[in-house]
Amino acid sequence: MTTSCSCKTWLKYAALALAALAIIGGMIGYDRGFRPYPQPDWVTATPEMRFKYGSIGAENDAGVPYWIFYVLPRIFPEKLTQDGLVVPGGYASLGVSWEQGQELPIGFTQKTIGFARVANNCAVCHTTSYREKIDSNPVFVVGGSAHTTNVEGFFRYLIDCAKDPRFNADILMAEINRVTHLDWIDQLLYRFLIIPITKKRLLEREAQFAWIYRKDFPEWGRGRDDAMNLTKYFMIKAPMDDTFGPTDMPSVWNLKKYVWEKGHRMNYAGDSNDPYSVIMDSALGVLGAPPANKADFLDQVKWLKDYLSALPPPKYPFPINAARAAAGMTVFDAHCAACHASEKTGTPLPLADVGTDRGRLDSWNKGAAIKANQVVKEMGLERKGLVEEDLIGYVAPFLDGIWLKAPYLHNGSVPTLRDLLEPAARRPKLFWRGYDVYDQTKVGFVSDSPEAKRVGTRLDTASKGGSNQGHEFGTGLSASEKDALVEYLKTL
Amino acid sequence: MNEEFEQTPSPWKRRFLILLVITVVIPGFIGLLLLKRFGEDIPVDYASPVEHFKYGSTGGEHEMGFPYWIWKALPEVCPQYLPGKGYQSLGMVYEKKPDGSDRDLPIGTSQRRYQGVDRVFVNCAACHVSTVRTAANKPATIVLGMPAATFNMKGFEEFFFRCAADPKFSKEYILPEIEKQGANLDLLDRTLVYPIAIAIMRDRVLALAGRFDWVFKQREWGPGRVDTFNSAKVIFNFPMAHLDPKEFDAPADFPSIWRQRQRKEPKEMQLHWDGNNTTVEERNKSAAFGTGTTPPTIDIERIKRVEAWIMDAEPPQFSAFFPVDRGIAAQGAPIYQKYCATCHGASGSDFSGEYVGTVEPLAKIGTDRRRLDSYTTTLAVNQATLYAGYPWRFTHFQKTHGYANMPLDGLWLRAPYLHNGSVPSLRDLLEPAAKRPKAFYRGNDVYDPVKVGFVSNVTEAGGKKFFRLDTALPGNGNGGHEGKAYGTELSAGEKAALVEFLKTF
Repeated sequence: MTTSCSCKTWLKYAALALAALAIIGGMIGYDRGFRPYPQPDWVTATPEMRFKYGSIGAENDAGVPYWIFYVLPRIFPEKLTQDGLVVPGGYASLGVSWEQGQELPIGFTQKTIGFARVANNCAVCHTTSYREKIDSNPVFVVGGSAHTTNVEGFFRYLIDCAKDPRFNADILMAEINRVTHLDWIDQLLYRFLIIPITKKRLLEREAQFAWIYRKDFPEWGRGRDDAMNLTKYFMIKAPMDDTFGPTDMPSVWNLKKYVWEKGHRMNYAGDSNDPYSVIMDSALGVLGAPPANKADFLDQVKWLKDYLSALPPPKYPFPINAARAAAGMTVFDAHCAACHASEKTGTPLPLADVGTDRGRLDSWNKGAAIKANQVVKEMGLERKGLVEEDLIGYVAPFLDGIWLKAPYLHNGSVPTLRDLLEPAARRPKLFWRGYDVYDQTKVGFVSDSPEAKRVGTRLDTASKGGSNQGHEFGTGLSASEKDALVEYLKTL
Repeated sequence: MNEEFEQTPSPWKRRFLILLVITVVIPGFIGLLLLKRFGEDIPVDYASPVEHFKYGSTGGEHEMGFPYWIWKALPEVCPQYLPGKGYQSLGMVYEKKPDGSDRDLPIGTSQRRYQGVDRVFVNCAACHVSTVRTAANKPATIVLGMPAATFNMKGFEEFFFRCAADPKFSKEYILPEIEKQGANLDLLDRTLVYPIAIAIMRDRVLALAGRFDWVFKQREWGPGRVDTFNSAKVIFNFPMAHLDPKEFDAPADFPSIWRQRQRKEPKEMQLHWDGNNTTVEERNKSAAFGTGTTPPTIDIERIKRVEAWIMDAEPPQFSAFFPVDRGIAAQGAPIYQKYCATCHGASGSDFSGEYVGTVEPLAKIGTDRRRLDSYTTTLAVNQATLYAGYPWRFTHFQKTHGYANMPLDGLWLRAPYLHNGSVPSLRDLLEPAAKRPKAFYRGNDVYDPVKVGFVSNVTEAGGKKFFRLDTALPGNGNGGHEGKAYGTELSAGEKAALVEFLKTF
């Protein structure tokens, strides 16, 4: 009797101990694997900091574990390439806007969800870097086009690393242990879970991103992305087609100018209805998955919409010749205002009227819009959404802050405003994008100096999607009229 | 039941005890011994801050330390890769023992027992200590905190890489040499620890060789110089072969490290030759990478001791070595005030002056641009990731576009002059570039009290060849810091007076 009694007691204790162990293990597992911690206060100290470094929730699915992200450029430096050449400099070689003293580039967010992770926010594609001269430090303008950033290079880099057999726990842990001290729990988690899972997840991207490896397409290069194909292949999982529509990352300041009731449509081909929809769809693209926390996601989108609606376009920071600008205003009113400062501004114009490269237009269609709207709706997200119509051509853009939106045309195929005023046949056929020294004479970025050639990526206007044709407006003006017009455009 | 058990000891109890001893106690005991032998992490410590500066650890031995006996044996195993006998031939400074013989290890090396092996690696003093002699036949005085004007760092790095790649870098050659030097290794060390250590070290040095390949392709730095920020790119494993060629060939003099407090207070100066960092502690940790430290292995506590010492360390006075003509120096004082003080401080101990410790744009100063170009925005942003996760993550590195105006404490010991050490003496610096020596010799510790700088026209002495610096080679340009504002148009008398005054710094 006593024996059986003591047995029972022991069994009870053992079960209790086991349960306690399970609970503690579960707590540690949750704490180190899934528990979200808020970002530090400095991140949200100002709206601009929040735009640059604030999480929009992308760390849940698209996030790369911090220490893997950290050591990859040290282990695989030779995989950071552009135009087929190795570029030294870690992630900086991708042309990201990176403030000196900051741990991560602008548009890269760090958030701990169990373990520290790195993901992106809108600022990665919507912050402009410019320099006054070769020996100036860069100025970063939030809301502008990330004309220096090699987005495709970044996508490819992570995948290329994961494909390398050296992407394994032994090699990664050795490098991680050279840069930080992880406690034994994190050591085990990294070695047996985080590294293998990350490798698997990155390798899964290879199939999704198949088209960015196509040899018959040119590289996006710095400052461009094939935005609608991203949407097609990711959001609606459409089968790969042969379209290719590279475009400049757009500026996103002053979004309050878009008024739906006036017929304004967004995106280059007028394929989205309003800022709220564009922001939500873009944010979903950055998340790479339905939001883990829908309420938080909606707050983020609302905040971004409010912030970007009110964000003023940047003023031209260099001297302007007032007299010449005044003369240019007359030219502008006579030759440009009909499309760029009128009822037509912000609305799509028939492609035949403008004649620019059709690649971007062809990369999207009504059927895709209907499907994409369906997908977002199924996530339980409400928005006006993508335009479910056949698209006629590109939107006549607003010109606020036009000085910083170089290169020009939707596909960034013309380096400067002055070049744009030449007939297509006389515009540069080959130039380098993504170098950030500003050209105050031609208004745009320096695109063919030895430095520009070293830093930037090559754009051949004969390449697919890269034509510099069309918009041959004002090309017959006299040289002095063109100069005056360009001077005036600096004031917008 | 227990009582019964005790009263009549069962044979099982004895058997159990024997089993226990064999399976638990003995292995446990051996385990403890091994733990003690291989689990230790004990640096050799020095009570005095000065001794600590010379021989104390920064923690670099953890990652980079050479097993003590390998360090000792290598100069004998690979003598063909050294310019002369021992580490002395690379310009490392050895203190004398009371009997007049050299100490076991040079100044600038530290020791630590880690993972069961005594290890040696360099510390701060390797690059910030040197010697001065008042004449070729006079004894050398060791000066702490001055630039390591005789230390050939490139030769030092290349020696280890070349030796590791040599077939003789094997236990067959190294172990007998160790025995020859009287090591008296115990059985475990002789048969296990050192053979393994030799193999591991060879692998590690060779693994690093790729990262340091660029060093071999650089023109000679010569003694007293290092290509600081191309070396820093190695931390990130930048693919050096693909760097813009204009970033290379950027050697700079080792700096002096006295009076750091005044570089921090009342205002933080722009430190490094190009002024790329304003924080003394961050600059120190950055330099400590050069002593083999990594974020998890740096010995913060011991680095702090060095930091505390260099805060207020002072340079020795010129007048303790040579006479100063106070009368002529007094004539130089107003010239200094007029031409030099706003950029270089009121005196050698008073660093007040509007532009002291701030960057002068390159277009104005006009000195060789290679050191400036070797430091890029790309490197600066990468440096902000160093010490990620630690409270002292680097946050102050900034690309600049000129060279910083330095305070001039201990100026006389900081020859040759300009950031790249391209002008041998102060007197030469007061000539326009066209009239400065086009080539001269570095590495001599005999001092020239007239021109104020080290003797630079002697090609070799005491069996040691000095380094010929050719100012026509990339990175060695001796231009700039010239014109009326820089005193190169003063009369000969004024220049002599100014130089005399500078001897008081």
